[in-house]
Amino acid sequence: MAEDVKPTRKNLMAIEDRIELSERGHDTLEQKRDGLIMEFMDILDQAQDIRSKLDEDYDTAQEKINMARAMEGDVAVRGAAAALKEHPEITTQSKNIMGVVVPQIESSRVKKSLDQRGYGLLGSSARIDEAADAYEELLETIILAAEVETAMKKMLEEIETTKRRVNALEFKLLPDLHENKEYIEQKLEEQEREEIFRLKKIKAKKEEEEEEEAEKAEAEAATAD
Amino acid sequence: MSTTAGGSNPEYVTARVRSRRAALFSDEEYRKLIRMGPAEIARFMEESEYETEINALGARHSGVDLIEYALNRNLAKHFDDLLDWAEGRLYDLIARYLRKFDAWNVKTVIRGIYSDTAREEVETDLIRAGEFSGRLLDQLLDAGSIEDVTELLDGTIFAEPLRDAYDEYEESGVLVPLENAVDRAFYEQLIEGLDVNEATQLYHEFLQAEIDFRNVRNALRLARSGADIDPSEYYIEGGRLFSAAELSSLAANPDELVQHLRDSPYGDDLSQALDELETAESLIEFERALEAALLEYSDRLGIVHPLSVAPVISYILAKEREVDNIRAIARGREAGLSEEEIEEELVIL
Repeated sequence: MAEDVKPTRKNLMAIEDRIELSERGHDTLEQKRDGLIMEFMDILDQAQDIRSKLDEDYDTAQEKINMARAMEGDVAVRGAAAALKEHPEITTQSKNIMGVVVPQIESSRVKKSLDQRGYGLLGSSARIDEAADAYEELLETIILAAEVETAMKKMLEEIETTKRRVNALEFKLLPDLHENKEYIEQKLEEQEREEIFRLKKIKAKKEEEEEEEAEKAEAEAATAD
Repeated sequence: MSTTAGGSNPEYVTARVRSRRAALFSDEEYRKLIRMGPAEIARFMEESEYETEINALGARHSGVDLIEYALNRNLAKHFDDLLDWAEGRLYDLIARYLRKFDAWNVKTVIRGIYSDTAREEVETDLIRAGEFSGRLLDQLLDAGSIEDVTELLDGTIFAEPLRDAYDEYEESGVLVPLENAVDRAFYEQLIEGLDVNEATQLYHEFLQAEIDFRNVRNALRLARSGADIDPSEYYIEGGRLFSAAELSSLAANPDELVQHLRDSPYGDDLSQALDELETAESLIEFERALEAALLEYSDRLGIVHPLSVAPVISYILAKEREVDNIRAIARGREAGLSEEEIEEELVIL
């Protein structure tokens, strides 16, 4: 790698600029990575809570519907469910957490009051109400879990990308640039030394020639006398 | 359709009912069922009273669904027989109670139309145990709209209330007004015009209790749901516990409601349930206690006036209880409940 670079002063200055830029970028990315990890840990806690709530809600809903199916019959439970064709609505927006765009899911018409569930109150029982309540609760938790877990996934991807960038800068780009810089510096120093040596040589040779000429001139003068 | 005039034949009907009653599952058989899985229950039923239904439905359904549909079909067959045997006043007394299956069928058909369910699926869910003829039910199944259903029901107790509730349904877009209208029509005809004498006294009390308990359950459900709904809108006339206005004010104050129940003729039967109601979050336990209290009436109905409507109604309730119990056992086993849980929570013996 280093051998590919021409050891010129101009390249050295360019490399020094790149090193400075990369180091600044490295610091910034490192800060971003740490920030993302902190945010991620918060979301992780939230996600774990929601996960365990989801498990609980699911178990409760299953239990309630099993009891309703046992006591009222599957036909009655299905009938009550068929008495409503309106579905809950979900709208998604997005929010920005440290540059990561994560979804924000808003749900409406999930929880319904007794007179909005479709089935008649007079001919149904609390078992069906409680099964419906439990499923509404479960649905709300699922929606919340979807929001938090998607945010978590996106954060993880971003952390992974940032980490790769930081590592690339730290372990590849910056060492390469430093190596190049060193190489150029060495080469330039070497060239300088060669130059000095060459100049010294020339100077010595010139002095030698001058001495020879002076000796020669002296000798000629002595023979003329 | 119902006739209140003409000769009644309680001797004949009660004699036939007695033999049917003897064929009901005993406590011993329930204990066996509780230990079985759904497939074993179906096999057990195949060798019992339910053989015909299990065999007829075996090709179309399986597992607990097969059991449930077979139970419903068997129940319908027996209740249909009762209406076939009964004549005159007795017919009217039996039909009053069995019209709850007509109400069920009307609601099922309306739900099918509302949710665009295939005719076959709706047909499977019908329980042909009420007063409606097979022809009328088939016509209802073929109906394309709720207006058509209302038209077909002309001459029954359901047509007028459905017509009255139709505008509200159109406005709200949910079936609640129609379903409530159908159920209210059923409950209010239970007592209406009932000739109360020595033989029908207990039956009358039973029907009143059914209405009272329904009112209490609904008031409590509304109160607990926190919905801003006036309980008097859901009040059913005919009970002996409260007026619509009383129910409204009591629903807002559950403690007073409980006290009112304690002071009522049902106080003794419900005292344990009321204790639980004051502490428990769920209404389910309380509903179970109400059901158990109603069943006590049915047991008492069985032993008074052997040649009246009482034993017939007692048989109807016992048969319903059998169907409920078998279904509860099968569904409970399917859901993985233990024998103890099923015994404690589901089965009412």
